Amino acid sequence: MDYQELFPVPVEWLGDVDLSMASTVSGWADAEVMTGRLEHHEDYEGLLVPAMRKLFIDIGLQAMLWPDELGGGGLDSPEAAMTLTAILEQVGRADTGIGFLLANWFAIQSAIAIGPGRNETLLKGSAEIICGDEILFGSLVLPGYGNGAEETDFFGLPYQATARKSGEWWVLSASGARPQCAGSNAHMFGVVAATDKGEPGLFLVPSMSLVVSVGNPLKLAGLAASINAEITIDAAELPAKHLLLEGVENIRGVLSWYYTLCSAVCCGALLASYEILKEWVDTRVIKGKGQVFKENPLVASLLGEIGAKTGLARIATYNIARMLAKPETYGPAGSGPVAATATAAFKTVARSAMDAMDNTMELMGSAGYATEWNLERYWRDVKTLEASVVPETVAQTDMARHYFDLKKL
Amino acid sequence: MRTIDDFTRPLEYIAPVDRYLGDIVRAWADREVIPYRRKYDEDWEKHRLIEPAFRSLMGELGFQRMLFPEDLGGWGFGHSGYTATIACRAFEEIARADSGMAVAFGVIFWPLLMICTEPHVNRRLCEEFAPMFCDTSEPRFAANAMTEPQGGADIENMEVVGGSTIETTAVLDGDEWVINGHKLWPTNSGGVADLFGVVATTDPGSKDLDDFAFIFVPADTPGCTQGGPYQKAGMAADKNGDIWFDNCRVPSWYRACGPGLDATYFKEVISFGNVGSTAFVTGVLMNVYEILKDFCSKTTFRGKPLKENDDVAGVLADLARDTDIIRVLGYQLARMIDRPDLYGDRWSDEIVAKGRAYKYFACDTGVQDLKKAMNLMGTYGSDRLWDVEKHWRDLKIVQLWMGGKQLCQMEVARWFYECETL
Repeated sequence: MDYQELFPVPVEWLGDVDLSMASTVSGWADAEVMTGRLEHHEDYEGLLVPAMRKLFIDIGLQAMLWPDELGGGGLDSPEAAMTLTAILEQVGRADTGIGFLLANWFAIQSAIAIGPGRNETLLKGSAEIICGDEILFGSLVLPGYGNGAEETDFFGLPYQATARKSGEWWVLSASGARPQCAGSNAHMFGVVAATDKGEPGLFLVPSMSLVVSVGNPLKLAGLAASINAEITIDAAELPAKHLLLEGVENIRGVLSWYYTLCSAVCCGALLASYEILKEWVDTRVIKGKGQVFKENPLVASLLGEIGAKTGLARIATYNIARMLAKPETYGPAGSGPVAATATAAFKTVARSAMDAMDNTMELMGSAGYATEWNLERYWRDVKTLEASVVPETVAQTDMARHYFDLKKL
Repeated sequence: MRTIDDFTRPLEYIAPVDRYLGDIVRAWADREVIPYRRKYDEDWEKHRLIEPAFRSLMGELGFQRMLFPEDLGGWGFGHSGYTATIACRAFEEIARADSGMAVAFGVIFWPLLMICTEPHVNRRLCEEFAPMFCDTSEPRFAANAMTEPQGGADIENMEVVGGSTIETTAVLDGDEWVINGHKLWPTNSGGVADLFGVVATTDPGSKDLDDFAFIFVPADTPGCTQGGPYQKAGMAADKNGDIWFDNCRVPSWYRACGPGLDATYFKEVISFGNVGSTAFVTGVLMNVYEILKDFCSKTTFRGKPLKENDDVAGVLADLARDTDIIRVLGYQLARMIDRPDLYGDRWSDEIVAKGRAYKYFACDTGVQDLKKAMNLMGTYGSDRLWDVEKHWRDLKIVQLWMGGKQLCQMEVARWFYECETL
């Protein structure tokens, strides 16, 4: 299907590498996931993990942001935002859960390989495993709702972790923290923590030996490719190089990347649901009226809305990706305008995706919610993603802070 | 302390047995369903957890007897003057725990309405089927076999197609109906139902409503076969599958009401479905209120409980507003159905259209509210531990059943705007 013909984005922003990578991942999606979507979630180890291995290792997504000379894909510049967006759209089309895993992982990697926190020591030190044969997962641990016991917060949201300096080391603790994804099997966590220096920091926490306990797997509405669980870290000692970023603006920058990549994943889910619906309305007949389904004016009015939401979601996503790709033009990823636009793009795209899929399900009736027709999985995945990435009121306040110059919230 | 009982109902409409029945169902829900419902998704095929809860409600507590006359072992609600109002209360209490169970429970009464309610009680069929439901403590299910593979909701679109798209046939052979056809998706199919009310045509392609037939077929009738259930996004307690009728023979008097009347009273089924759907939304929203009140009191944001933040309070207010309004609407619709002397026949185009309007308003609003609740709760909103995501998945299916939103819109437009070609 020619998505550019259907839902065009500013194609002049995409380079040959972006288009080539997106095409490769699209091929992976069709061959490895789309044809057996129903079976994949029934067999995590037997089907889903091998499919992810092909994507992460064989195609090379896992090491894509690492420098060429270290064995990576060499996309260690802000322009990777366009590549990642084009790729994650295709991953999201295949499986929103895998896309969500990668959005987390790439957001952490962006802090290491790109931008103000580029960490040469960590890049070199971890190249062997990142560019190796083992599939790795990374997950963000962001500030979240608290229970009243917390003393510090990130714009109202309590930190889920604290870190204090001890000589050359950082000592990081978190109790029952809820990662964004993959709590039970992530290899690396990107933890936003309150520090005793007063500024928040983003720390890279390898799970092996540092995470002292992992809770039971959480059962979520969707995103089955990610097995999440709460984690506890008890005074883990981290070398100084594991502090990836410091300060509010830099952490916002990581969030800008994260929101943009999650938007791309939602766009992919929208494309998948479009494909499912297109086939339905092309072939279904309203028998009483002897009419192909899509030719009914009421149905067509909804199809128009769905198409518009899909097209505009793509445009919003590729635009914020462009802003991240060109910091010299738009400012750093964590600057007020870029951060607010990234938040706005994500909230708009995720809401549009949910609305479009709701309408799609309504048009498909029972087939919309039956597992067999595949739509319901994308619908559950996108809602889970929308709710999990950032609570609605937090995002609204973040946007208002920039657009209306809030002083106290 | 505020509770779900503070949501408004028009008290002068309430049945005398309302409190008694409501308390029983709520206690059942708290005891038998809510502690286990998080495991229902995995139980969609076997109903190992779900069936005991049904057994308790329907068989042991006896709710499956509600419509049958007292002298046949029933509770006599079919001629109580409060049929819909009582159903409304029972449905919201069950849906508070699990709207899939509420749907499955409510649909038991769909075919029975055709024979148990005034003014069209079919005494002979009541006597025939009362023992199945009233003389046992085992749960017994009934189902309306309507939807067909080729036409989806066409069958429910009576005003336009007049039964002409029905492909399931009923042919009178001596003193027996011979039924052939394939039905898809009925609630309580998938191997559950003991008794089907089958929508069939006595003259394929005919728009003459005399040819629209509603015929009872016990599930163990030779030639009646049920497929396994479909896996769905939610509503695991409601099994949906295929049913095949292959030369099924039933007595000629198993036809519910007769030529013309079957089609007329069939619309009453839609009216009760609209009451049910509105009550399901209320029940779900009442439980979400309970959950959110707990969550937003314990969880902090900006250094204080979530609910004490103005922006959060705004969302909570919207949900409370909608719960209150939809509850009132549900009882209003139930009253309209229970008082045909004031509002007209419950199978009339007016009551069907207004019921459709309430149903799709309630469902659209309820689904939007649950999405807001999930977004408010952040990562906990999609976490099964908090049950909101389950309600969201289930309620989306309530929104789509009975022909979905577009059919509702057409029926509402036809009546209010006197459309002539839609």
